[in-house]
Amino acid sequence: MTKQIPNIAGVIVLLFLAAFPLVYGAADYDYIMHIMITAFFYAILAASWSMLSGYAGQFSFGHMGFMAIGAYTTGLLCHYIYLSPEPTGLCTETPFFGQWLVVVNPIGVTSTTLTQDCLRQAMDAWGGRVEVTRMPVPLGILMGTIMGAIAGFLVGMLVLRLRAAYLALFTLGFSEILKATISAEIDITRGQAGLELPPLYPDGVTLFGTYFEPTDKLPPYYTMLALLLACLGILAWLAHSRFGLFVRALREDQDAAAALGVNTTRYKVLVFTITCAMAAAAGAVQGHYVQIITPNLLFLLQMSLVVAMAVIGGIENFVAAAIGAIILQVLLELLRNSFVIGGIEVDMTIWRLVFFGLLLMITLRFFRNGLIAPLIAYFGRVGVAEETVAKRASTLTGPGGGPHRTEAPD
Amino acid sequence: MEFPLLFWGVLAWMIFWAVAGAILIKRRYLAQDLDTSNASFIGAMSGAALGPVGLAAVWARTPKSSGYLTTALGLLTVLIVAVTFSFADPDNICVTSGGFVASQFVNGLIIGIIYGFMALGLSLIFSILGVVSFAHGEFYMIGGMVVYFVTAVFLPGINPLMGVLAACATAFAIGAIFERLMLTPMYHGKIDRPIEYGILATFGLAFTLQYFVQALVGANPVKAQRFIEFPRWRFPAEADPIWIKTSRGSMTLFEQVTISSPRFTAALTCILVLLALLYLLHRTWTGKALRAVSQDREAAAIAGIKPDTMNMLAFALGGMIAALAGALLVQAFSWLPQVGAIPAMRSFVIVVLGGLGSLPGAFLGGIMVGMVEAAGTGCVPDPQKAASYIPAYGMIVLTLTLLLRPTGMFGRRFASGAHGQF
Repeated sequence: MTKQIPNIAGVIVLLFLAAFPLVYGAADYDYIMHIMITAFFYAILAASWSMLSGYAGQFSFGHMGFMAIGAYTTGLLCHYIYLSPEPTGLCTETPFFGQWLVVVNPIGVTSTTLTQDCLRQAMDAWGGRVEVTRMPVPLGILMGTIMGAIAGFLVGMLVLRLRAAYLALFTLGFSEILKATISAEIDITRGQAGLELPPLYPDGVTLFGTYFEPTDKLPPYYTMLALLLACLGILAWLAHSRFGLFVRALREDQDAAAALGVNTTRYKVLVFTITCAMAAAAGAVQGHYVQIITPNLLFLLQMSLVVAMAVIGGIENFVAAAIGAIILQVLLELLRNSFVIGGIEVDMTIWRLVFFGLLLMITLRFFRNGLIAPLIAYFGRVGVAEETVAKRASTLTGPGGGPHRTEAPD
Repeated sequence: MEFPLLFWGVLAWMIFWAVAGAILIKRRYLAQDLDTSNASFIGAMSGAALGPVGLAAVWARTPKSSGYLTTALGLLTVLIVAVTFSFADPDNICVTSGGFVASQFVNGLIIGIIYGFMALGLSLIFSILGVVSFAHGEFYMIGGMVVYFVTAVFLPGINPLMGVLAACATAFAIGAIFERLMLTPMYHGKIDRPIEYGILATFGLAFTLQYFVQALVGANPVKAQRFIEFPRWRFPAEADPIWIKTSRGSMTLFEQVTISSPRFTAALTCILVLLALLYLLHRTWTGKALRAVSQDREAAAIAGIKPDTMNMLAFALGGMIAALAGALLVQAFSWLPQVGAIPAMRSFVIVVLGGLGSLPGAFLGGIMVGMVEAAGTGCVPDPQKAASYIPAYGMIVLTLTLLLRPTGMFGRRFASGAHGQF
């Protein structure tokens, strides 16, 4: 029975998360919902990063880079590609199943208004006669995920030879190059000004007879939760299959794994592709949810937040990493309130991060499996120890009498 | 740029043959059963510099990789890029004005010396502990902050040297304490995966230190006074142009190259401290012990050296070097808690380029990166874009080095321990 505690607790937490937006009704509803959505976003990143680093031992500091690839892919596609029933005559365009696929020219942030591009000019000329359609958001998210997978595949191919510190530096370099490129190509990405994205559900959505505005928090909440659960499901399936066994062998000793017949190249590239695709999907959904993306997504500190969440949760268990991310994100928000001790005002907006860093270091030093993972492992192993002890005792008193195995391994 | 097609065409040609060379020559060396560790580098460089002709020559001769060959090919590649640029953009200030080039050169050299000095600390830490310290930028930031607080807030009017010494002492203490508390267990088998642990632990330190300083100081930029004001001086008094002319804040050479006092003092101090450090490493027992530990921990321990003490000393010294660089540059730049990120990234680039764990490599790599940065800011048309791309140039060098020649210019393969393999 005690063995089932983690599963029961998991089901309860899931039910709570699923029911939360429906039953919670306080005045700060939107704020709390926003925190939860962001927490799910970080949970996806932390879980996929723990798969990459904890399971497979590929210590990547470029995870936010892949996240940004997802977000910027969908952002740029939604920003620049339109479907029009009539040719504009101004933009780059190709016929597309009886309609015209229009690629808007980049004008950057230098223009005084945002409506100077070729499509807007054409629409002014049409005078509302022609309806153009934007790229659908789900397709954009899908494209972002695919781009993230491709980038993960390429980086995975490049870093086959690199390990440990070299790999960490390479992925950090990749992320920095991406950040510099996004910041510099102001014409296309709008640089630090940020790229605006359409909301996740541009026309709103109707669920069970209730209409939700595009700005309502409930649909993105369930979308992000579903994405998190899907990612965790895929990760769990992978971890319990041969794949999980092989990538763990890769982590422990790459040469030994290769000698025993594990195709190390294939699994290394695969684990990069899958986890990076997850990061990209999370980035794309989050980008549509907050509706603006900037190169600051790629700051090293954002990455360190994900790393810290995964480490505190438990780097070698992606479920623990995800739970750790959710708890820490909520905790970090709750700790925002400043307070006064002995006439000195303590600015908690900064100090909470100091405590967070200290917690990270203490966890690293004394709880190397994180804080959440040992709890799960404890309950999961409750019966195991007794069983083993009983078996040993029986072999000791049994016919053989020695510490050797008497029964054949099954 | 007047003829962009020429420049980008040549560049595309070079990249094509470099990629082809990196793959083909590696295969060739592998097939011939030769040492492949430098094959992809030689292939890429010969392809980039000499195109198919060079590749064919390397393919036919399969020369042994020597320092001369790789250096010559690398220099030739850089030269070709520079010449192409000058033909493609004849009106660029870098092509027309010699004075501007000299000024950029000197400034690049000075900033390169400071970067190289800072990277030296990172390299020292890596060569002995096998840890890439992600907290290096935070030590740099703390150095500057301590100088500012000592000289401007607590004890105004005090000799800035005291501030610099206080910065060094603070960083040394933080480094030593952190190493003893967090990194020492790595070397006693208490940690499962020491390499990853080392990276994460320094990462945690960086996170904590940065926000701790921000919580104490706030997010407003601060700036320290100039340490030294030059006397007014002309030499020689009657010549034209005047060789050296100084004013309070800067020095002008040949009426072309202006060096500001903060940068001058910083570079000079860095060189002096570097010489002292070389003396320490090569002429004293402690330094020899440090180098012995970096070569082989077990053998050093057998010879009576305490590796743990050397670890602590190395980490503290490395942090102190970064803090010293920060303490010297706080008079030149305005200072924020986040200021460490950029020099930390530069240091990563430099140590990888020079070879992780190599001290001369770190210094030479620093000067090269300083030069590239000066050329990048001065010569590239569209200055706004060039400035945004500067971090990327260094990182491209870093990724290419890791892919083609992970040992860098002077790196060696580490025999054992936590240094990790590649």
